[in-house]
Amino acid sequence: MSEGFSLGVFTTIVRPEEKAILAAAEARGITVQRIDDGETTFGLDRPPGLPDVVLNRSVSHTRSLYATRFYAHYGVPTVNTAEVTELAGDKILTSLRLRERGIPTPRTIVALSPEAAMRAIEEIGYPAVLKPAVGSWGRLMAKVDNREAAEQILEHKAALTSPVHSVIYVQEYVPKPDRDLRVFVVGSAAVAAMYRRSSDWRTNAARGATTEAAEISKELGELSLRAAEAVGGGVLAVDLMESPNGLVVHEVNPTPEFKALSAATGADIAGRIVDYAVDVGRR
Amino acid sequence: MTNCPECEATVPNHDKIPGEVFPCIDCGTELEVLKTDPFAVQPAPKEAEDWGE
Repeated sequence: MSEGFSLGVFTTIVRPEEKAILAAAEARGITVQRIDDGETTFGLDRPPGLPDVVLNRSVSHTRSLYATRFYAHYGVPTVNTAEVTELAGDKILTSLRLRERGIPTPRTIVALSPEAAMRAIEEIGYPAVLKPAVGSWGRLMAKVDNREAAEQILEHKAALTSPVHSVIYVQEYVPKPDRDLRVFVVGSAAVAAMYRRSSDWRTNAARGATTEAAEISKELGELSLRAAEAVGGGVLAVDLMESPNGLVVHEVNPTPEFKALSAATGADIAGRIVDYAVDVGRR
Repeated sequence: MTNCPECEATVPNHDKIPGEVFPCIDCGTELEVLKTDPFAVQPAPKEAEDWGE
């Protein structure tokens, strides 16, 4: 490693993923600057002592958005970039970009008020899936099977005062096997993939789904890379479902977890991420 | 080692690093490492609405 090069790792908390990243950097002899997203401040002028590249591992979408903008302003590249963070961290913006790039994705309608959402749900048909535009781990998602259930969910949304809850992302329920697929993309490579199985309609590993390594077929690899490139590329986890009409991409995650994927596949994902970040920092 | 701030169980500091989040093996409370020398923990920050991957 060239003298003086340092990798910034921007975190909220240190989970097994961040610990693996720090260990991978240490194993490569890379100097690491840990940056706590709850402690650091950002002025309008570039401060001294910044790292050569910042790997964003913050779990907060809001903090990620502003921090990556500031680092770009200071001339420090980030993984992922501010633009990728903004796009992939917002399901609405991601859906727009996937459609613009011709990538198959479930039918989606967005309503900007709970009142309009009822029309969106009726147009999508039952069952429909309601998701917050920002957030993951299956949190605050709802599958509504009929009008009565939809009305109850929307009544709760209307009672929440934050404008964020007034924006309703409605998606068709995709009749899939009891599993979905996650493909981890680093730069121009699909490095590992797994099935996530659950009896629950949500297949998030954070919700207790079981995981199993999946083969990256030509179709799966190419579609995942196209989805990652569509949002700007970098380190991204592409989530796909096996619909009756073929694979559809439903999410692209910009600060992905990978503990379960590493365990299922044996892939050194932390090492791949660090190598990629160092490459970006040296460009 | 130190004690869990919730249940007072003993919490060993095997290979822990500052900022690391892990569950108390007795009560399951998510703990965050404040510092390693001397070893100190606090309840981990609560999941916020914009948290995710």
